[in-house]
Amino acid sequence: MSLDAQVGVRLGEFDLDAAISVEAGEVLAVLGPNGSGKTTLLRAIAGLVPIDAGRISIDDTVLDEPDTAVFVPPEHRPVGVVFQDYLLFEHLNALDNTAFGLRAGGVDRREARRRARVLLDGFGLAAHTRSRPHMLSGGQAQRVALARALAIEPQVLLLDEPLAALDVGTRRQVRRDLRRHLADFDGVRILVTHDPVDAYALADRVAILEAGRVVQTGTIAHVTAHPRSRYVADLVGTNLVTGDISNNRLTTSTGAVVSVVAEFTGPAFAIVRPRSITLSHAPIDTSARNTFTGVVDDVDRLGDRIRVGVDGALHLTAEITAAALDTLDLRPGDTITATVKATDIETYPA
Amino acid sequence: MTARSPSARRMRTRSERVGRERLPLPALVLAVIAVAFFALPFIGLLWRAPWSTVHEVLGRESVRTALRLSLQTSLSAAAVAVVFGVPLAWMLARIDFPGRGFVRALCTLSMVLPPVVGGVALFASFGRRGLFGRYLDQWFDFRLPFTTTGVIVAQVFVSMPFLVLTVEAALRQMDRRHDDAARTLGASRWYVFSRVTLPTIRPALIAGIVLAWARALGEFGATITFAGNFPGETQTMPLATYLALETDPDEAIILALILITISFAVLVGLRDRWLGGSGSVTT
Repeated sequence: MSLDAQVGVRLGEFDLDAAISVEAGEVLAVLGPNGSGKTTLLRAIAGLVPIDAGRISIDDTVLDEPDTAVFVPPEHRPVGVVFQDYLLFEHLNALDNTAFGLRAGGVDRREARRRARVLLDGFGLAAHTRSRPHMLSGGQAQRVALARALAIEPQVLLLDEPLAALDVGTRRQVRRDLRRHLADFDGVRILVTHDPVDAYALADRVAILEAGRVVQTGTIAHVTAHPRSRYVADLVGTNLVTGDISNNRLTTSTGAVVSVVAEFTGPAFAIVRPRSITLSHAPIDTSARNTFTGVVDDVDRLGDRIRVGVDGALHLTAEITAAALDTLDLRPGDTITATVKATDIETYPA
Repeated sequence: MTARSPSARRMRTRSERVGRERLPLPALVLAVIAVAFFALPFIGLLWRAPWSTVHEVLGRESVRTALRLSLQTSLSAAAVAVVFGVPLAWMLARIDFPGRGFVRALCTLSMVLPPVVGGVALFASFGRRGLFGRYLDQWFDFRLPFTTTGVIVAQVFVSMPFLVLTVEAALRQMDRRHDDAARTLGASRWYVFSRVTLPTIRPALIAGIVLAWARALGEFGATITFAGNFPGETQTMPLATYLALETDPDEAIILALILITISFAVLVGLRDRWLGGSGSVTT
């Protein structure tokens, strides 16, 4: 079983045009900044937003295809959703929240409650069946929302920012529990998040969504090792330079030139790792092929490491030790030279 | 103990501070005058009431009839207002159709009209010679004016807008994503409406019902214009009160007190229980 979604949605100025494909047993994380269209993508798959172009299907069953005027309404899609903020029904207790989908599907009350109780038991919520949503902790509410979505035995499970509503203290524990519960469901699982930690912990594969477009998909290791967008580079804390390579020289669109070691020519990405950058007050005589002089625009402390932003022909972030910062005595506005060896720069075709 | 006393002191000063929170004096004076303005007429009424004859007046058949008729018609009017008003509110709140503002204005016009005008309009339309009333009469042998049904129609006409506006506001404010959640769980539109939307707006719905019912109970102008003043058939409590004022002022005052007691009891009872009037239950 697999879900294929080519989703074209226009919402005023915003335009979503994203394609994803997920196999049963797989967890895909859709990762992107706020406003990138993640939630709209999820709502389109759930049927809460009809698509304007494209096609959404599970195996051979089409759920939404404007060209053939097929639209299966949300209540008839085999799709369960865990919403951001969970959206539990405040007038029902945990048991009746969980039984809601079964009742709506015509299962009689006693049987629906019996099945809901079994589910809540499995989620360790046997003691909370009579609790109203406002009496539950964030983690418990999330499990009720998950139980409620799974009660209808969907083929596809969608989770919209499942950890965003939790405070930092409980998030780790809940994330671990969620990972275990997700593993118990063998259908298609799609998780939307703006937090790379969630994607790392919960997903097998990520799709990076930016401004309504999927800019990169792949395993998390691959995507983080070879970012193809500024957003991902920022997430993993590295410098991404884009440009054209010829003769081991990468030229950016603004005209900056970076010496690299590359066995190809043409459009390329280059990764400059913050730790491979050396900072000095004056250009130093060295074997390194790249020196950039710029102005310090940011000094950010991360534990005993200091990240220094240098704005020159390129914007680069360097990572130095606290001791090095003391020696250099850097403040925003200072002029500084960044040096990096060509062999420390990783390149790959765009 | 030493560890607890500072926090205990902090608690006390905090409650003292909250307790001391006050309106600016001029506003407080005006607010008290406003309360007095509402209270004094009732005090006057109570002072003027012929307590010795209360028992006798309450026993009168005419009074009992008017009371029974008032309760019967106002409760019916409230029920009709719910059956038609909730779908109307839902349409106004949720469906974006051209002329929605116009329709809303039309359906709530009777709230700001003098009720007598409403009665005249009803008479022109549903009177025996009215534009539509003549066909009701000819085809179905059905007449509204000067009947108990006519009383209910007049009451619905003036009271339903209170329910519609209250429910519409609640529907607009509610988080519609709960409806979305219900649909992804397989609920049909009707199931969502009855099992999620209505329970979510229940406080507003009850407030709307109470407002509409209270308005129907007090309805006078449209009723006397459209339905007339026939004891046992169309003479409701407000009509009986007004007429008694000319013949037997004592009876008028007792009738007024009965109306006040019923309305006040319902408002106080329902507000505290369901509407969070004095409590702080908002979830």
